[in-house]
Amino acid sequence: MRFSGVRIWLLMLSMLPLAVSAQNLLDPVKIDSVVVTTSVRLQDIGVQKTHIDTRLLKENVTLSMADVLTNNSVIYIKSFGRSSLSTASFRGTAPSHTQVTWNGMKLNSPMLGMVDFSLIPSYFIDNVDLYHGASSTNVSSGGLGGAVALVTSAAPVDGWGMKYVQGVGSFSTYDQFLTLSYGAERWQSTTRVLYSSSQNDFEYRNYNKFKVPVLDGDGSVIGYEYPLERNRDGDFKDLHLMQEFRYNSERLGEFGVRAWLTDSRRGVPTLNVSYRDENATRSRQNELTLRTVASWNKLFGRLGLNASAGYNYTDMTYVYSVDAGGEGNMVEAIHSQSYVNTFFAKMAAEYGWSNRLMFSMDVDFNQYLVDSHDKSLTGGVTGYRKGRPELSTKASIRWKPYDQLGLAVTLKEDLYGDKYSPLVPALFAEYAPWGTDIITFKGSATRNYRYPTLNDMYYLPGGNPELRPERGYTYDLGLRAIHKAGFGSLKGELTWFDSYIDDWILWRPTFKGFYTPLNINKVRSYGLEVKGSAEIYLARDWDLSLDALFTETHSINKGEPVSAADNSVGRQLPYVPVYSAAVSANLQYRSWRLTYKWNYYSERFTTSTNDYSVSGTISPYYMNDLSLSRQFNTSFAAISLRFDVRNLFDEEYESVLSHPMPGRNYGLTIEITPRLGSRR
Amino acid sequence: MRRVSGIMGAVFAAILVWGCMDYGPRYEEEFSMPGNGLFITNEGNFMYGNATLSYYDIESGDVENEVFVRTNAAKLGDVAQSVVIYDDKGYIVVNNSGVIFEIDIDTFKVTGMITGLTSPRYIHFVNDTKAYVTDLNDARITIINPQTRQITGHIDMGDHPSTEQMVQYDKWLFVNCWSYDNKILVVDTERDEMVDEIEVGLQPIELVLDANGKLWTITDGGYEGSPYGYESPALYRIDAATRTVEHCFSFGTDDVPSALELNGAGDMLYFINGAVWRMDVTDSELPDEPFVEDRQTKYYGLGIDPVTGEIYVADAVDYQQPGKIYRYSAEGELQDSFTVGVSPGEFCFKY
Repeated sequence: MRFSGVRIWLLMLSMLPLAVSAQNLLDPVKIDSVVVTTSVRLQDIGVQKTHIDTRLLKENVTLSMADVLTNNSVIYIKSFGRSSLSTASFRGTAPSHTQVTWNGMKLNSPMLGMVDFSLIPSYFIDNVDLYHGASSTNVSSGGLGGAVALVTSAAPVDGWGMKYVQGVGSFSTYDQFLTLSYGAERWQSTTRVLYSSSQNDFEYRNYNKFKVPVLDGDGSVIGYEYPLERNRDGDFKDLHLMQEFRYNSERLGEFGVRAWLTDSRRGVPTLNVSYRDENATRSRQNELTLRTVASWNKLFGRLGLNASAGYNYTDMTYVYSVDAGGEGNMVEAIHSQSYVNTFFAKMAAEYGWSNRLMFSMDVDFNQYLVDSHDKSLTGGVTGYRKGRPELSTKASIRWKPYDQLGLAVTLKEDLYGDKYSPLVPALFAEYAPWGTDIITFKGSATRNYRYPTLNDMYYLPGGNPELRPERGYTYDLGLRAIHKAGFGSLKGELTWFDSYIDDWILWRPTFKGFYTPLNINKVRSYGLEVKGSAEIYLARDWDLSLDALFTETHSINKGEPVSAADNSVGRQLPYVPVYSAAVSANLQYRSWRLTYKWNYYSERFTTSTNDYSVSGTISPYYMNDLSLSRQFNTSFAAISLRFDVRNLFDEEYESVLSHPMPGRNYGLTIEITPRLGSRR
Repeated sequence: MRRVSGIMGAVFAAILVWGCMDYGPRYEEEFSMPGNGLFITNEGNFMYGNATLSYYDIESGDVENEVFVRTNAAKLGDVAQSVVIYDDKGYIVVNNSGVIFEIDIDTFKVTGMITGLTSPRYIHFVNDTKAYVTDLNDARITIINPQTRQITGHIDMGDHPSTEQMVQYDKWLFVNCWSYDNKILVVDTERDEMVDEIEVGLQPIELVLDANGKLWTITDGGYEGSPYGYESPALYRIDAATRTVEHCFSFGTDDVPSALELNGAGDMLYFINGAVWRMDVTDSELPDEPFVEDRQTKYYGLGIDPVTGEIYVADAVDYQQPGKIYRYSAEGELQDSFTVGVSPGEFCFKY
């Protein structure tokens, strides 16, 4: 599909109404919520969305978004180790099929297509919503599995605020978090700083290596056991700094400016099947990222307008060094350096025709500029310098014929470089016969496209400019039920999803010693998502809350066999568990809180044919974490103490082949919130 | 309070039932396979640590997979690059684990390990007390004493930071430099010194020595956009005695020749280029017709039985499932096939 002049005009015309009608619309969300709380919400008609409670995000300063999503969502997080690469698989799809935004700005790497959730500290994030399947079109393009929308916002209007958190944990892990905020009538400011560091050199028993003799006090061999080793090169130092300003003007609207700096320096842990000398090789990955977003929004009667623009700079370095001379002089065998500059602009408008009808339009533009180079010990410098504009336009109509029924249609069109996707419709429906606080039925369906990343197309060697976009079709049907009674409340959700993805891009080896991406897979991913929660009043001062998640995901290769020998058709995709579940229980007694978390993944296959060989499967994963916290209120500050035991039963395990994981480990956190007094 | 403790008790009880992972010690199996056989190294996937060793009993046709981990209760490691037999011991070079395992070739029990290596690729035995190991990321050939399994020295390869396959003619060792290089280097095995180099095409990936004292190498020609250049792949014949290139057989730019092998007599060359091709070492042109047709497979490795002349072709399928081995008669007729491990790459015959 080549881009034509006619298409450019169509896209430009689709943007015009935004500019023309920008002065006349109404915020329909506000109207909707005021009029009838138990009727279908116009804004979210048919949307399969999971909100991650802010309490979970702020639970522990040591947690990353990978940890939070593992325990509190139906997303499967594939973790290569503690504070190592952690990617998300949403409804059985690939990491690049999960789109991630921060305050509307896309965070997915234009080079790799995915996001490393271990690099996002949950403590920094104020609000997270997961958009499942078709609902991801409300957030971003290309979310064949779903989307994760991260939001941060400046402090509320409350004068000075401050919080300091100090965490100390096993393996020389230290976390320091400080936030300073000031909120006045018209403007607010919030500054956050987080510095985390760890040697991350946990000890583990290595069942992949040879048993070693066990000696008694006399030096006699009394048996053999697998060696105890330490996680090597897993150390990290991560600095995050975020500054946000917000200014409110009744006449001009609300303005916001946000900047987020990340400086991460991490070792890449050695495989537990390596017999190299400790100092023979070393892998480091450093990332410096600056994300900035400026936003403006205002209500003009029935029109709500939002505009934002931003810039994202990423400097990523991977260095693999070897002691080639054997004398401690490390030489860089691989030095990969990439710079990504992203310019982003977004405009959204919502117009509430009435309480039952709403129109909205979005235009999202990203200009990516990538300069990626690899220098190897044996060769010269290879790489590419490429840019690509991406434009996404979307128009929606949301309609409530009556309070219990909502229907929505979205039309989307994406432009990537000189190519474009066909006009894509997304359909949403929601029906709440007895009001949304009792039972609600939901359904959605859409087509979706994900374009190859810049690495897919231009990486040297192997990049394939002839790749086609991945094409997806997905639908889901679900219901949500709420029951309130004297003892508390119960909430449950059940969703069936079914997705088809064609031309799935996979990197395959070539006979020339490098990999190349090809459109080779066709996948059907279907299954069930179940969510349940209960708030139970047990006795005076005693409260119990329970949250449970269960997912069944069949992500099946439906393509043609690559040859007569290919047995992968009809099999589950590698590293996608069929079953996953999580339960978390919170018991609150006055200022005490006891939290228990249990997490489960069924076995995962490492081969495309689902072999039950030694390295063909990773055994089912069960994880138990326990924490106890207490809040102290003094006249000068609120102080919270928290003690965590992670991996309570000291499980020995791997989540990814040959990547060791830590056994039982501990954390102690103190949180101090001085009472600085409100401004008023 | 009774209600609280009851609920929490139920939660804990449920957790104890559910909460135990099946991960831990492996159990050792005993093997005794003294007959003629074939070792196949399955590279596995880079950074997965899922390399395996398969064994094919040539007489019975039985196949045993994952024999290394099943015998030794320890994994083979990450990227099994090559396997050779010397003095009735098997040597498996595991590239990204930085180790060479010495095994008993009948029981598969590990009898020794050679460590202290960076990214070993191949091992060549000069004599009972000296072996050379090439390396992907070390501009030196490592000298090993196989009897003590200790590193005894290194050979500086100058500005050639990566070395690959080795063959020996008289006291001269020839080694190809594949990665961004175009040289066959010559090492004096008595003085352990690099003494000469032979220029060939871009990126020589294979090296064999025929019965007539001729070296054969395939150059892959690099790739489009490579800073080192890009040219058609080629097959070179080099006289080992004079170290001169005698003939260059050029392939088309779309060809991807690989896996160069000789038969037992050393007078017939085999290689993969989509299909499997065969030519006499005295031929002056590349063959017109393939010896074994392309079955739309990913032929990844090739082995020629030095006794029967049978041809074993390794099919990596999609590189993420157990590969398949096709056995052909010396005349090119398909005999049978069997399944091995992920990305089967190298063969080693045990006679």
